[in-house]
Amino acid sequence: MNYDKIKDTLLAEVDSGLKFAQSLDDAAEFELFLYYRSNSSVEIRQGVVKATDGIVAGNAVRAAKDQRVSFSSSSGITPDRIKRSVREAIASLKATSEKDNRFQGFCEPKPPGKEGKFAPEILELTTDDLVKFTLQIIGDMTKVNGRILAAADSGISWGGFAIGNTRGLQQASCSAYNAGSAYAMAIDGEERRTAWEALVTREKPLDVTGLGEKAATKARSLLGAKKLNQTTVLPTLWVPEAAASYILSSLQQSAKGNNVVEGLSPIAEKLGEKIAGSSFTLVDDGQNPLGIETEAIDAEGHPQKRTTIIKQGVLKQFLFDSYYGQIAGKPLTGNSSRAGGPFGSSLCYEYTPTIIGKNLEVSPGTKTEDELIASIDGQALLIVDVPIGIFHSDVATGEFSAVASSVFLIEKGEKKMPLEPISVAGSFYKGLEQLQGIGNNVVMTSLLVKTPSLLIDGFSVTG
Amino acid sequence: MLDTLRAAVSYGEKLSADFVEARFDDLTLRTLRRINDTWKDIILKSRTGVGITCYYDATPGYSFTASEDQEDVYETVKRAYKMAKAASTAASLKLDFDERPAVKSRPSDTFTAKVHPRTQDLDFKMDLINRMVESAREVGKDIQNVTGRYGELFGKKIFTNSEGSDINWDFLVIDLPCRVTSKTSTGALVFGSERKAGTLGLEIYKQKGFTPEEIGKAAGKYAAEQITAKACPAGKFTALTDNDLTGVLAHESFGHLSEADFVVMGMSPLVDKIGSRLGTKHTTIIDGGVPNITKHGGLWIPYDDQGTKANMTTILDKGILRHYLQNRGTAKNLNQEPTSNCRAVHFGFIPIPRMTNTYFMPGDLTEEEALEQLGTGIYAIQTSGGQVEGDGSFLFKADRGYWVEQGKIQHPIREVSLSGNILQLLTQVEGATRDLLLWGTYFGGCGKDGQHPLPCGLGGPKLLIKDVTFGGQA
Repeated sequence: MNYDKIKDTLLAEVDSGLKFAQSLDDAAEFELFLYYRSNSSVEIRQGVVKATDGIVAGNAVRAAKDQRVSFSSSSGITPDRIKRSVREAIASLKATSEKDNRFQGFCEPKPPGKEGKFAPEILELTTDDLVKFTLQIIGDMTKVNGRILAAADSGISWGGFAIGNTRGLQQASCSAYNAGSAYAMAIDGEERRTAWEALVTREKPLDVTGLGEKAATKARSLLGAKKLNQTTVLPTLWVPEAAASYILSSLQQSAKGNNVVEGLSPIAEKLGEKIAGSSFTLVDDGQNPLGIETEAIDAEGHPQKRTTIIKQGVLKQFLFDSYYGQIAGKPLTGNSSRAGGPFGSSLCYEYTPTIIGKNLEVSPGTKTEDELIASIDGQALLIVDVPIGIFHSDVATGEFSAVASSVFLIEKGEKKMPLEPISVAGSFYKGLEQLQGIGNNVVMTSLLVKTPSLLIDGFSVTG
Repeated sequence: MLDTLRAAVSYGEKLSADFVEARFDDLTLRTLRRINDTWKDIILKSRTGVGITCYYDATPGYSFTASEDQEDVYETVKRAYKMAKAASTAASLKLDFDERPAVKSRPSDTFTAKVHPRTQDLDFKMDLINRMVESAREVGKDIQNVTGRYGELFGKKIFTNSEGSDINWDFLVIDLPCRVTSKTSTGALVFGSERKAGTLGLEIYKQKGFTPEEIGKAAGKYAAEQITAKACPAGKFTALTDNDLTGVLAHESFGHLSEADFVVMGMSPLVDKIGSRLGTKHTTIIDGGVPNITKHGGLWIPYDDQGTKANMTTILDKGILRHYLQNRGTAKNLNQEPTSNCRAVHFGFIPIPRMTNTYFMPGDLTEEEALEQLGTGIYAIQTSGGQVEGDGSFLFKADRGYWVEQGKIQHPIREVSLSGNILQLLTQVEGATRDLLLWGTYFGGCGKDGQHPLPCGLGGPKLLIKDVTFGGQA
């Protein structure tokens, strides 16, 4: 299927599928989701190549009757597979008397938002182009002095989805992007240090110049690490990639309407309160034309929007889909997703709608990263990559313990030597209250969060 | 379906592919979730599709389709072949493999459940959750949230290749977890959890120790206990890891490093270490798809997704590195045997070296003797996962723990996380208990190269480890 035909083709199948569902049970309410996406990638690791090209296609049906709600999905978007899901969803409804007493119906139709921009040239990229990009990344890594093990990949993803329900909603959205990444392992004797750099864009065809060299240089700079030999409390400066992991593990989780409604968010009762430093502002912009998660509609068909979560340190708003928005009595924010985001599933149609930040953005501060480092009187840690285990934090406790394995010592306002892995622990939310500075170096990270560096005081460190 | 796959293999060979593998998954996944009094998920998924690997000049190209139609499958073969041919020009390290006799499966290769989930209706499974949630409420204190879930994954996995292998077996995993979140007097949230999961029949939930009531009560009790738990101290302590956490240690730290793709590429710290002593005599680590699941638990995986019949591989033998976890190409490159570890999370991904059931072998201590030997330190229990980096750095999260003094449990602690370097840690293992428990889940699973969540089994005894770094309050 060509890119230009996706929406019309999927919408036609949605319409037929809904009519079939209603023919089987006209007293039930139905929602039908169809997904079609082409993914191609070429990966090279130390000369070993793996190449994949395939179409992910699938459908999902939700059925509701007397506040009983069921979900069924199947692989493929052919009429027979869609009918299979419809029949299974109806069978599940009939098989149980258990109700979801909070269910108030599927999404109401609204005018869609805007699809993101993308360069049409991305659709013209071939397997040979991907091979060329990946070899270029590897080649740039090998230019860096010292022993470097190199891995890289590049890929193209394009496709779309359509949603319809028996409330009259029928919408579709399409998108395309390309991406590349470089993973370098610098080795000196028994010491191994790793670094990762990534680029993901819909704005233009992939230009991987410098990506490999950046990763290899970073990995090299981490060699010669010394022990901290302390268990103490220190300020920590999180560069954008690390700061993005902080935001995803903390506020992205606690701002989700499902965690708020279910009593699992530590900030559930803090709307209107100051929960972060005064210079901290966080928005979720589902309509940023260049945001990777930007679509005209979310995974239930509601228009995606721009939502201010925290403004100048004050908690303003949570993120909602239709289910939790209706329960909370709050406006929908267009944040419904089916296993999307940086940790999403390729078979996303198999997942029920849940809430996710689309394109989270932390507003820049005024200082450069060097000025933030210079502002530190005593010792601090410079965390230059995603700490190990940070995504295993629990949303309810708000506490974390992670290992910064790519880390430098800051002393008397200067970046000093690299350190061996250090355990960093504390409360995400106390950390936000103790925010000491925000950089002006906003970067779109590989975790799809746009953020500058964050300087945070008060975490326990040991190593 | 086997005929369609055979035709696909022939078609790939006609296109000039050197070798072709074709597989078909026809899997059913059921997810049920109750949050407090609300039935949030009643989900049924049908996951059906074909995956084709074409090899050209010892370079794999992969493609897939959700369609079973022969013409669509041929188109998929064409794409896989095209990818392999294009990729072969860039490959400087080629992982060729030798021809082997065709593998034929038998019906007895499939695990037979007394009460297979496909034979029970929806209400039976929802009742399991209802009983579990209500029992959790009876025992828990200051409960903020109780979530009960049930998951099942079962169905056919069919495989053939250019050697004429003919493999047809059924996968099965079930899972019944409960999680209770309670609120402390200061407003902080704490949690407790319990589950029973693995390749099992539903009859397990009638067995003493694994009934929904007992699972729910355990989760409620653990959450209640965490209300008064103190923060885990930061620093180095002797640790006793329970069977669950020991499993994560085996899987996340050592298991991943022993996956042969990392070894071939030189990225694992285990490169060139076969025959070397890496751990103490208490560290024997096994991986295999056919453990004694009736006795110990775990997952039943009699074949991998490259058609290799499962065996039990001793990776580390009393501290000495013996074997890596191989696919056919890495095995030839490293001059070892394939180990049935080539797995894909679903038909949309190319199979890569992954674990099956990975566990430490038991020792000879009782739990009491292990605590006595621990002296003063931390008893770390259950887990919500962990992560390891290519240099061997790791972090594991224990769900809860106890502070131990003079071999006696003193008080519960929370936010317990262990970190360090696995190769160092293996030299610090001072003993193991005599009990061996394995588990494998439907919810959660292993992630590698974007392939998540792959059901994996893991476990072991309780391990006594000195000088473990705990993150926590300074």
